[in-house]
Amino acid sequence: MLADPAMVPPVALLVYASDDPARAAFWPFAVYSPEYQAACWAVRNGAAVRFIDVPAAWGLASGDEPASEPEAEPSDAAEAPVDEIAVRLERDPIGLLAEAGGYQDGESWWRDVIEESPASDAVFAAVADAMAALRDAAPPAEGREALREAHMRLEIAKAAKEQEGVVAVVCGAWHEPALKAKVPLSQDRDLLKSAPKQKTSATWAPWTSPRLAFQSGYAAGVTAPGWCGHLWETPREEVTVRWLGRIVQALREAGHIASTASLIEAQRLAVALAAMRDRPHPGFEELREAAIACLCHGERLVWETIAAKLLLGDAVGEISPDVPLAPLIEDLQREQRRTRLKPEALERELAIDLRSEGGLDRSTLLHRLLILGVPWGRQVDAGRSRGTFRERWQLRWEPEFVVRLVENLVYGPTLARAAAGRLTAHFAEAADLPALCGLTLSALTAQLPDAAHAGVERIEHRVALTSDCGELLSSLAPLGDIVRYGQARRTDAVQLETLFVRILSQGALALPYAVRGLDAEAAKLLRSALLAADAAAVLAEADLTDWRAALSTVVEDEQAAPLLAGVAARLLYEAGTIMPEAAADLLGRMLSPGRAVADAAGFFEGFFDGAGERLIYDPGLRAAVDRWMQELEAEDFTAFLPLFRRALGNLDRMQRRRLLDAVFGRGGAGLQGRAAAADAEAIWPAHFQRLTDILTARPAQ
Amino acid sequence: MTDILRLPAETTYAAELEALKRKDDAPTPRGWALSPKAVVTYLMGGKAADGTPISAKYVGDRRLIETAVATLATDRALLLLGVPGTAKSWVSEHLAAGICGDSSLVIQCTAGTDENQIRYGWNYAQLLANGPSREALVPTPLYRAMETGKLCRLEELTRMGSDVQDTLITVLSEKMMPIPELNDAVYARRGFNLIATANNRDKGVNELSSALKRRFNVVVLPLPDDMDEEIAIVTRRVGEMALSLDLPAPKNVAEEVARVVSIFRELRGGSTIDGKVTLKTPSGSLSTAEAIAVTVGGLSQAAHFDGGKLNAEGLAPSLLGAIVKDPVQDKIVLEEYLEAVLKKRPDYAGYYRALVDLV
Repeated sequence: MLADPAMVPPVALLVYASDDPARAAFWPFAVYSPEYQAACWAVRNGAAVRFIDVPAAWGLASGDEPASEPEAEPSDAAEAPVDEIAVRLERDPIGLLAEAGGYQDGESWWRDVIEESPASDAVFAAVADAMAALRDAAPPAEGREALREAHMRLEIAKAAKEQEGVVAVVCGAWHEPALKAKVPLSQDRDLLKSAPKQKTSATWAPWTSPRLAFQSGYAAGVTAPGWCGHLWETPREEVTVRWLGRIVQALREAGHIASTASLIEAQRLAVALAAMRDRPHPGFEELREAAIACLCHGERLVWETIAAKLLLGDAVGEISPDVPLAPLIEDLQREQRRTRLKPEALERELAIDLRSEGGLDRSTLLHRLLILGVPWGRQVDAGRSRGTFRERWQLRWEPEFVVRLVENLVYGPTLARAAAGRLTAHFAEAADLPALCGLTLSALTAQLPDAAHAGVERIEHRVALTSDCGELLSSLAPLGDIVRYGQARRTDAVQLETLFVRILSQGALALPYAVRGLDAEAAKLLRSALLAADAAAVLAEADLTDWRAALSTVVEDEQAAPLLAGVAARLLYEAGTIMPEAAADLLGRMLSPGRAVADAAGFFEGFFDGAGERLIYDPGLRAAVDRWMQELEAEDFTAFLPLFRRALGNLDRMQRRRLLDAVFGRGGAGLQGRAAAADAEAIWPAHFQRLTDILTARPAQ
Repeated sequence: MTDILRLPAETTYAAELEALKRKDDAPTPRGWALSPKAVVTYLMGGKAADGTPISAKYVGDRRLIETAVATLATDRALLLLGVPGTAKSWVSEHLAAGICGDSSLVIQCTAGTDENQIRYGWNYAQLLANGPSREALVPTPLYRAMETGKLCRLEELTRMGSDVQDTLITVLSEKMMPIPELNDAVYARRGFNLIATANNRDKGVNELSSALKRRFNVVVLPLPDDMDEEIAIVTRRVGEMALSLDLPAPKNVAEEVARVVSIFRELRGGSTIDGKVTLKTPSGSLSTAEAIAVTVGGLSQAAHFDGGKLNAEGLAPSLLGAIVKDPVQDKIVLEEYLEAVLKKRPDYAGYYRALVDLV
């Protein structure tokens, strides 16, 4: 199947325990994988080919962890004083050889001496000798190693019996002496008898070349799949030049200037470096350093912008259509059975009670699918029912969802892991705090604690780096949601709470600087962030001392945008930090004739916008406004009129009535009616006339 | 002890250079005093073939120095870039000392440097008396380096005007300098090369033209990766400087150096050393050289005013000066750092108090 022409590497063999797909392992194959080439050759030449390593089932059954090769050995060095060489022999035999040859690490030695060496026959024999010597010095293979080798020997013997002619074995050099060794078949069989068994399913999955890289978590991976592919494709004499050529091309595509002359210089420098390090020809490191020095003007960053594409490649494999079913779909079917949710092509409404176990499971499943880009269910009242115990969904299944699930296979073999993987990938792309908070919230709703944790970490990181006050503040509202939401579902909110407090204090530190020198547009944006943040902070019952202190600074700051100063003053007034008398003084000072009308207007708007209702219930405030209005010159009063109208315009008819009642002391039961001033009759008619005009939205006369 | 405040590298380390040269059997480019390998050993430290220990001049990535030396061996010019205080000039001096045994051919490039200081000038008395002739020429360090096949060092290349910089293009690509007045030219002898240093933090001072930039191989010297490495550098250099300034070193220098360096590293790296708290970074570069300067400043304060006691109060003012370069932004950064990190560390209590008082 591997050699099927419809299969385009990189692809991976995916084996998972049938009853628990989370215990799965991938075996990726690239074009230059020896196994792939062997299989292709075998198919072309009509030879039989088979895997001789132990069946994957054993690895999966033996460990709870999904086994991948090579398995990590317990760190015995720490526990017992084992002979250091012996330990290293087991872990890194090539490294020892390399050290003997004067290299720093095994990888580069292996490349120089073996893979890039022109005379391969002699080298193979030498490697076999060296390995035999190393194996003699190392303790005999134990456990899984021994099992693997026994199994390989048995399979080779079987193949030799069944087939005529030579049997070629493709294996790691380390196993070579063991496979040659003459061990009675019965002994091997005995060894294998005790092997644990596990029912498994296998399928092929398209792989991507970045995931062949060691850094992506594939333990047997290579550091630079792109370089390996390049070595495989390019004739030996042209490796250096062509590689540099590809670098130059990538640089040019990225918009840098890279001349042919520089390419020549890079080539010369690489050769000089190789000579200085006694290498037969420039290796990967020499070429990289030469490219940085000559082509990227010494800027490692420039190199890194092109490195990912060059080193990791962006190839995506394809699988032929006749492969067995993918695990995500199987997992979905299992989940559907468990939660008793049937896929139906027609739309159907579903109400879920989150308090019951079954309801929570269903909701979790739907949320996870949403994260995976499979909108089986659409939340009808999305955003409103958060934090309550009821969710309403519209369900409809579309056939193409299957395809989308298979696409998500790269993120993980089960719905939970794939959703977590996909979210993590989104975290990396999310540009700003509010987006990150949203993603984290969805991780929490979908019961993906790991992803949520990762999200919180990203938020933390981002928070530390940002100095944009608006961004900090606008992240508080969704974060506050998450903090409160933590109680509806079983989530661990402690970390979030600390984070919330931290953002709040950081926002408080940044606020006094952020409110300076803003134009009207920017001030408005910041105002909504400020209001949302304050609401969230109050709801979250956080410690508000610093926050309030920052607000007072804003109020006192001469350079602060007046709109924001007004908002801050109102918030403080509502919180009771500014007493009504002080508020009156403040209003008087801020709106005093000495200030530019536009500034005063800004302050007034900030203070009263959306708070007209306050005037009805708050006699102290009303008195303050009243006093200030009475002191206004007629001209100024006219100038302020549009402002009053804007501030009070959103009161409805009923509220206006009550405001008027309050003003004239006709107080109803709920109002602490204030005795009208003695000369009210004399003063008020004019004001009243104007006020009515304002309130009924007729232009002032 | 000599009366000269600071001796050139080839004199200070004459013994090491001699030892390296004695048994240097690796292939040596023509015009070089040492083989490239020996030059790398001279800079990175190690042992000469006859067992003489060689002190490390540069502490850091060996590969960078290898690239630098290999560049000079390919007769390409070398440009050392880096933020201030990353040992650019130090490396260039020692490269010159190692490769040609003479680090004195230096041109300090400034905004006032003109072509006559790069190419050659004239002895006007001679010029008026005898007309243009070789005798009337006043050679510059670059001229001399070409004639004698040595390395010429250009300090702070980007400080010099772009038009003057471009004088170097012919010298770099054709290895000759025309003297049109005499219808003659100076041809560089083997061994000639250029090492330039430039600061990549002050962008746009006099950005190199791409024609010139293309003729240099660039090596960027980074700030030290490793905390212990940096502490070692600071301690050693502080020791050397204190010695040459006749400052007594109190016993606790090592501890205070470790604290200063860790404060510097945390602020520079944007997170605490244990990686638990992310921090903002201030606008200054907070280089190793500044850590050295802060410590030496503290030592001087201790010796002259504080009765020989080195403490947080003495170090704090220079620390503050190194961190807060922008009065608004950096102050917030420092305040955040003080409250979020230093406040919780009992062994930094002195620094916390002293810095809070100053901020």
